Amino acid sequence: MSAGLQLNNLTVHYGHKRVVDDVTLAVAPGQTLGLAGESGSGKSTVAMSVLRLLPGTARVDGEVLLDGEDVRTMSWGRLRAVRWASASIVFQGAMHSLNPVRRVGEQIAEPMRLHGTEGSVAALLEQVELPRDKARAYPHELSGGQKQRVMIAMALACRPRLVIADEPTTALDVIVQAQVLAVLTRLVAEQDLGLLMISHDLSVLAATCDELAVMHQGRLVERGRARQVVADPRHPHTAALTAAFPVIGDPAHRWAEPAVPAEPLLRVRDLTVDYGRTRAVDGVDLEVGRGEIVALVGQSGSGKTTLARAIMGLRRPSSGRVIFDGAEVPRSGRALKAFRRQVQLVLQDPASALNPRHTVFDAVAEGLRVHGLRGDEEALVTAAVERAELRPANLYLEALPHELSGGQQQRVVIAGALVLGPRLLVADEPVASLDASVRGEVVALLLRLRRELGLASLLITHDLGLAWQIADRVAVMHQGKIVEQGSVEQVLLTPSHDYTRALVRAVPALGPGV
Amino acid sequence: MRLAGRLGGAALSLVMVAVLGFFLFRVVPGDPVVSMTRGRPTTAATQEALRAQFGLDRPVHEQFWSYFTGLLRGELGTSFTFRRPVADVILERLGPTLLLVGTSTLIAVGLGLWLGVRAAWRRNSALDRVTTGVSLTLWAVPTFWLGMLLMMVTGDLFPSRGMRDTDTPPDFLSQALDVGHHLVLPSVTLVAVVCAEYALVMRSSLLEELHAPYLTTARAKGLRDDVVRRRHAVPNAVLPAITLVFLRVGLVVSGAITTETVFSWPGLGLLFYDALTGPDYFLLQGLLVVTAGAVVVMNLLADLLHGVLDPRVKVV
Repeated sequence: MSAGLQLNNLTVHYGHKRVVDDVTLAVAPGQTLGLAGESGSGKSTVAMSVLRLLPGTARVDGEVLLDGEDVRTMSWGRLRAVRWASASIVFQGAMHSLNPVRRVGEQIAEPMRLHGTEGSVAALLEQVELPRDKARAYPHELSGGQKQRVMIAMALACRPRLVIADEPTTALDVIVQAQVLAVLTRLVAEQDLGLLMISHDLSVLAATCDELAVMHQGRLVERGRARQVVADPRHPHTAALTAAFPVIGDPAHRWAEPAVPAEPLLRVRDLTVDYGRTRAVDGVDLEVGRGEIVALVGQSGSGKTTLARAIMGLRRPSSGRVIFDGAEVPRSGRALKAFRRQVQLVLQDPASALNPRHTVFDAVAEGLRVHGLRGDEEALVTAAVERAELRPANLYLEALPHELSGGQQQRVVIAGALVLGPRLLVADEPVASLDASVRGEVVALLLRLRRELGLASLLITHDLGLAWQIADRVAVMHQGKIVEQGSVEQVLLTPSHDYTRALVRAVPALGPGV
Repeated sequence: MRLAGRLGGAALSLVMVAVLGFFLFRVVPGDPVVSMTRGRPTTAATQEALRAQFGLDRPVHEQFWSYFTGLLRGELGTSFTFRRPVADVILERLGPTLLLVGTSTLIAVGLGLWLGVRAAWRRNSALDRVTTGVSLTLWAVPTFWLGMLLMMVTGDLFPSRGMRDTDTPPDFLSQALDVGHHLVLPSVTLVAVVCAEYALVMRSSLLEELHAPYLTTARAKGLRDDVVRRRHAVPNAVLPAITLVFLRVGLVVSGAITTETVFSWPGLGLLFYDALTGPDYFLLQGLLVVTAGAVVVMNLLADLLHGVLDPRVKVV
């Protein structure tokens, strides 16, 4: 009888598909283990198997020992008693893991009533540094970080000995992520809990866990002390994962060629955008040169997306000017449409940006049709698709989005932008939803497009690593204002504004000595 | 602010209904006086007198004005066929309709939502297949055919015409039992049709929630399966169904036309039928305003209730 979690030769099948393959690992109270892997690597299936939450179609073999008892063979009654009391899960609560029509206080209290645990919701909220009156709030009234704190408070409500955190900070901003991770690690250490943390982000795991295990195609491919695994990966897949999270300041992770000063293509002068009484963009000056990649970084709510919309003519500014190629951007009519052809948008999530019923050909050709461009449609589309490195194009043209991988989908979105021959790409978190291994390829594609076509990019991101990797200049946006801008080295290595320093500090450090 | 907006929108809809009600029956072909006197020998002078009596000889804008101001005072004109104020006729028929529609709605809501929840929660189970199959059939079947089928199958078990027998003793209990007895067949018919729709909508709404991550959270907490369903899944899935239920209730006031006609139930539906066969223009106009008003009011109620049940919707 050992306390904590012990998985012995865990194997999970869906039909004939093996999603978890012979995984053996253990987490004792007081230990922290990070489980890394891409989507589809089986890491979440491992987490779900601990409390037997997998759907009925899953076949689970091996042993799942929770405090020495096999979860697989428990009676339903015993299983319900063990759930949340012996081990609890912090889900990716920022999304949909809280019930939208119940107050969060009720949701925290629910397992306490069920398992007869003493304690108060107010004390739990205090632990996660939330004011106690938030118990009366509904999930939609909380920010992403607050929701995640509620999830943590809920997970600790029945004082389990083991907490499983499944992507607890994905979709949160760097600064909020750092705060949530700090709360989680503090509580785990204070209460001497075991922590199994699952993430695709090695840097998050390295910052919070002592040990690290890496999964790939259902198998554990590497395991060891976290710092050692990150610093000296043995398995090529681990190496690919570490490479995907660029270390700011490391010249090896800087892919952009030194920029040649170019004459400005886009100039934003004293731009202000209001939403009712809220000033979303406040007197912004910004320039993007021909063939230059400028990263616009900031937290969500900082106004960077509004700024991008105003630049593209999708949102009418309250005052100020946007000058493209020497001429003021028209605000309406045919001229605006012609301008939009030159500035194309690439969105974060290709799966939702693409119409699921349109083939690749239709998706790419749509822009041509909207702009009434005549000529050999097929040749133009094929060229754009090949430019986006889907080669040979005829293999992909008739494919539907669901038949493509995430990286391929994002290439289709990029091809749809390229087909119009734009001069500026506005990319809103272009790699945030991509897996580590394809992320690098898409980043490289953006750089190659710049080199070959002289395509300038305005990169909207909260990922400072991405900025370090490919941007020439960085502009930092905070509460609607650009608080700092300059070359990448200058802004990220020697930040002068307090907010930039906080942003840089919040990035989880990968490995020692960085 | 939002509440004021909703109320204003509803009021505007009601005005539109009133205006539409007036002009709709002015553009349909046919002379009301001719149809009123159909089958009776009349002289041109009698027809003129009738025209004057119903105000049909005045210019359209004057007619509209007296109609509209009358509406504000609760007057809907005079029925040709009943020779009585339309408002009185409608009011008299409102009770039986509310009894029939109210009873069958309560049963249909309870049964339909319950069946829908059960069917979705155990998808592809025997209960699901039976519920879905029967619901689709009932939904597709014409109401009058279903009503007549019920009459034939039950034989003399239940009365199939009217609301009460003439020879029932006048005391309250006997009267109530008699009405209840008469109510069985029409309400079963109405329940069958409406309940099927509720069950199908509730089922598909819950199926969409079935894979929601918050249900996994609830299960991970150690909640029993039925508690997960009752406390977490249903409160979310019921929201779209609520809107439908209220909209349906508004429609059913007039939608019971077939059922009431088949069973000669003396409610608004039967009145509608009689007014159409007349045709009795003022009565039709009044019925249109009342039933369309019911839909508007029910829709408003659904909106308000939605705001109470779903904290994400702020009505007030």
